[in-house]
Amino acid sequence: MSGRARTRARGMLRGSRALEVRGSPGYLAATSVDLGNSEVSLSSRTDSVWQPYEHDAASGDGEHTLMERRVRIRQDLMDLGICTRERLAHVKDCKTGSSGLPVKLVTNLFSLDLPQDWQLYQYHVVYSPDLPSKRLRTALLYGHSELSDRTKAFDGAILFLSQKLDQKVTELTSETQRGETVRMTVTLTNKLVSSSPVCIQFFNIIFKKILKKLSMYQIGRNFYKPSEPVEIPQYKLSVWPGFAVSVSHFESKLLFGADVSYKVLRNETVLEFMTDLCVRTDTSCFPQTCETQLVGLIVLTRYNNKTYRIDDIDWSVKPTHTFQKRDGSEITYTDYYKQQYDITLSDLNQPVLVSLLKRKRNASMEPQAVHLIPELCFLTGLTSQATSDFHLMKAVAEETRLSPLGRQQRLARLADDIQRNQVARFELETWGLHFGSQMSLTGRVVPSEKLIMQDHICQPASAADWSKDIRACKVLSSQSLTTWLILCSSRAENRIEGFLSCLRRVGSTMGFNVGYPKIIKVQENPASFLRAIQQHVDPDVQLVMCILPSNQKNYYDSIKKYLNLDCPVPSQCVLTRTLNKQGMMMSVATKIAMQMTCKLGGELWTVEIPLKSLMVVGISICKDALSKDTLVVGFVASVNPRITRWFSRCILQRTTAEVADCLKVFLTGALNKWYKLNHDLPARIIVYRDGVGDGQLKAVVDYEVPQLLSSVAESSSDSSSCRLSVVVVRKRCTPRFFVETSKTVQNPPLGTVVDSEATRPAWYDFYLISQTTSQGTVSPTYYNVIYDDNVLKPDHMQRLTFKLCHLYYNWQGLISIPAPCQYAHKLTFLVAQSIHKEPSLELANHLFYL
Amino acid sequence: MELEEEIIQIADLGCGDTKLLKLLKIYPCIQLLVGVDINEEKLHSNGHHLSPYLGEFVKPRDLDLTIILYHGSVVERDSRLLGFDLITCIELIEHLDSDDLARFPEVVFGYLSPAMVVISTPNSEFNPLFPTVALRDADHKFEWSRMEFQTWASQVAKCYNYCVEFTGVGTPPAGAEHVGYCTQIGVFTKIGGKAAGSCVSEDHDQHVYKAVYMTSYPSLQQEKVLKFVLVGELLIQVEHLRLRHHRMLRERKRESDPKPRDTDFSLGPDLLLGAVFTEAEKARIENSPEPFCEGDKFCVPLQRLLAYPKLHRLRVDEERMRALIADSVCLSSDSSAVMVDLYNSLDYWPEDS
Repeated sequence: MSGRARTRARGMLRGSRALEVRGSPGYLAATSVDLGNSEVSLSSRTDSVWQPYEHDAASGDGEHTLMERRVRIRQDLMDLGICTRERLAHVKDCKTGSSGLPVKLVTNLFSLDLPQDWQLYQYHVVYSPDLPSKRLRTALLYGHSELSDRTKAFDGAILFLSQKLDQKVTELTSETQRGETVRMTVTLTNKLVSSSPVCIQFFNIIFKKILKKLSMYQIGRNFYKPSEPVEIPQYKLSVWPGFAVSVSHFESKLLFGADVSYKVLRNETVLEFMTDLCVRTDTSCFPQTCETQLVGLIVLTRYNNKTYRIDDIDWSVKPTHTFQKRDGSEITYTDYYKQQYDITLSDLNQPVLVSLLKRKRNASMEPQAVHLIPELCFLTGLTSQATSDFHLMKAVAEETRLSPLGRQQRLARLADDIQRNQVARFELETWGLHFGSQMSLTGRVVPSEKLIMQDHICQPASAADWSKDIRACKVLSSQSLTTWLILCSSRAENRIEGFLSCLRRVGSTMGFNVGYPKIIKVQENPASFLRAIQQHVDPDVQLVMCILPSNQKNYYDSIKKYLNLDCPVPSQCVLTRTLNKQGMMMSVATKIAMQMTCKLGGELWTVEIPLKSLMVVGISICKDALSKDTLVVGFVASVNPRITRWFSRCILQRTTAEVADCLKVFLTGALNKWYKLNHDLPARIIVYRDGVGDGQLKAVVDYEVPQLLSSVAESSSDSSSCRLSVVVVRKRCTPRFFVETSKTVQNPPLGTVVDSEATRPAWYDFYLISQTTSQGTVSPTYYNVIYDDNVLKPDHMQRLTFKLCHLYYNWQGLISIPAPCQYAHKLTFLVAQSIHKEPSLELANHLFYL
Repeated sequence: MELEEEIIQIADLGCGDTKLLKLLKIYPCIQLLVGVDINEEKLHSNGHHLSPYLGEFVKPRDLDLTIILYHGSVVERDSRLLGFDLITCIELIEHLDSDDLARFPEVVFGYLSPAMVVISTPNSEFNPLFPTVALRDADHKFEWSRMEFQTWASQVAKCYNYCVEFTGVGTPPAGAEHVGYCTQIGVFTKIGGKAAGSCVSEDHDQHVYKAVYMTSYPSLQQEKVLKFVLVGELLIQVEHLRLRHHRMLRERKRESDPKPRDTDFSLGPDLLLGAVFTEAEKARIENSPEPFCEGDKFCVPLQRLLAYPKLHRLRVDEERMRALIADSVCLSSDSSAVMVDLYNSLDYWPEDS
């Protein structure tokens, strides 16, 4: 298939009817609204949906005249409109807890003050005769005496004013340069209060303008300062510092949030990347390798400020070929770049990159393809190859990781720049906004938890890592391991004895009885490992351990596939390299022994759970690595009151929306399991749902919660019924919290809860810090209780969530999200990356995916 | 119009929405671009369009470029516009009333006195071809015929010691050739060239214009930028040579390996990528010391690196290069070559799968 045909096929896969590939350099596509203009465009996000608007759309032909009378609302702002709190009577008036020690926190949020009666007036402007050019529309409107002195923003159809016009409908006439008279009808369509989504979006656009005035450039959603690069020469990388900013309405007021962000740039052109790849690759499959490496990456062009996603490479088109310009004339790519940008192309044999542009204004139109010259494109971000390079990532992390103090200094500088810059200040003042001070608030530190082991209760010195505290303690329960296999290559053989004796030693302290395995020597290739497994695994084998010579994915994938699907037996993969770490042998053996215990159905530790009959559930969703339109849904539920045993299910679902539709089956399965083990149903169920993207909250509330409820209703009998709560968990959120001491700024202590001011009025939500970081700044996890029959007090909900962060058996310490979520995440990751199929049901009662 | 090599400072009077400046900023020889306009709001709203593109931070210009927008009137004298190579007044003079028009030549030709002035204005003889017969813009104070413009221009040129040539843009449709270009242009060249302006002493500093916007481009003239580009190009070149060396080793091994291989290692001619060297470049490269291996290190002599076009064009000598790269790359013991590991963690990947 040719490059073009392939692009076309891909285009159709995405659901567009047909794809016309018009070869044209990137710039020609710039017909849609450029946000770099001083004008306000509310339709600039690609990830938005249309919000209905009372008027019909004006007619127009072609993309120039297509005028939308609706304001597109960003998806995360759509979520804010889902008012789940009003249905929860017990938190309607107060959703804050009171237990724990108060702690004063500084945030990365700044107040934006507005006059009490502030309003934004939204108008719609119709031109008669209709004018295609936005520039002309703007010039005529702005030039009119009625509007010239007013504070205004206009995107070609929608006009915002800070002061109301006298009439609801105002007729204006202006004259073009040619002397034609144009009538403009300006109609008031909306009065907006500052908390309305349109207003919030409007504020965000004002800040975009301001950041551009501060010499920052927008790439994707964030803003960067290329003039202050950090160089990482040995990896040919530059890192541009910048910010992710947003204006949003928090609990009681409008706040501006800023978080430090970095953009990684590669100091080589796509052509240089391809040339090196060509030298590296010996085989004739260079074009394929090239596509695998490049497709999906974002490139920056040298001659404008745009970024493009590489969707394909067209090897049949060369720079010496011609394309049709907008005026219909033909020109070669070389001549075009010479004429337009005074750029001479050095390689006339390079192919072109194909990028499909999403239509911003009309999603139903087919995407337009543009051709880009590799020599003029720079790669941004990192390839998957680069991200798997430990040394490279370490170098990047060293340059980008910021201590709380460093972060605070950056924030202070940004705030200072905004406040001092005259143009920025004018822009804010003209709309009646005042950029205020950094917000502080009071959080609470909930008490630390004690770990319950088999015959010992221990109070860890630090909840971040209790490996030392429990070293001598016996785990809650474990199965003896008597029949098991070790597969290893002859190179690793001499390590086995030492490792085994370590494993048995730590096993016996833990109370995990490890018998002597059958050791099978295999050759160093994935096929030999698989063959040996097929030969030696029989129904009595409890566990297979493979000592892998390298971390190449195909070893791991083929082994996991076979032992999770075809022949369900718990398996443990260990790298030879790990066993070579001499001084670390005891801690390596301990970790492996714990994983093996769990995989055999053992329980390691627990914390005190005050609710006597509680099932906790974690749900995680991610995309399959092989087919992007397949979703992997993982579901992990606790099946005993101590919350130490788990029931894990995973399914692959073909769909476009990231919403699970198998939850009823899963929960019913988990309830049956619970009933079998406990001879009753749990009194309470709390579901933690991870992986909810921007704009998906409504779908979770409308589709997922009912599935869970229906399972609960069908499983319950008259005598007993379980009560359900659903909590959405998010690891990424704007707010950051710091503790300011006399000398420096630090991360907040473990167990810090924030449930005021940085929260949202429409939600029953809170932030919890349950993880530490040795370097860098900790990010809080955000919890939003969207459904709650359990009517737990906020205090209890927060503390229970904190307790659950202690129960992840793959890490001897606190983690950032509740354990069931992390288990579900681990399960979906295994399925999405390695096995791509539903794992065998026989494994559902073990944590086989650790 | 062809831009000559030596032109480096250009001012556009009445720059409006800065379209001309945007077209001019792509030329590598220009180092100072100034726009002047009476409409401050326009300058404010168009200023950031003139800031460097993101790509210009990755691949910077050779020469510095500063762009400044001033708010002010073209009939006021500002010494910061003295000594320019070119001043353009595109569709400007017809907006001046008779008083301003009278003062205009004295300021632009007499005071600013650039090496070259380009003035364009509508040709009124063309107007009957438009559907409506009127001035082309409501703000136009006049529109001249060719004769009117040429008379004015010749007088001005004579008075201030310039010579003037006339041209235009917008050819009339067939049958109407007699009306001339839609827009007429006068190109004024100072007799005796650029000199007078640059000898104005500091005492005459007159800053009447208000600077509204200013931006400076990253360029190789800035040490920090030069260092960044030099190190970047150097590492790309070293990596390229290292990979070629690997390939050579592999090919050698294959030749000595009697087993026939079924994979086809030759690439189609379509897939040969990379710039092609000229004969002179080839000779320069071949005459420089070759890369070599020292244990598990791969070394490329600095002289060799400087022979490659992308580094050669940076015009730094070996000594300067050594100083610039010293804290970014590893050098051989005698500091004559760049030294990298012969093998690195990423080397085997394409064949893995």
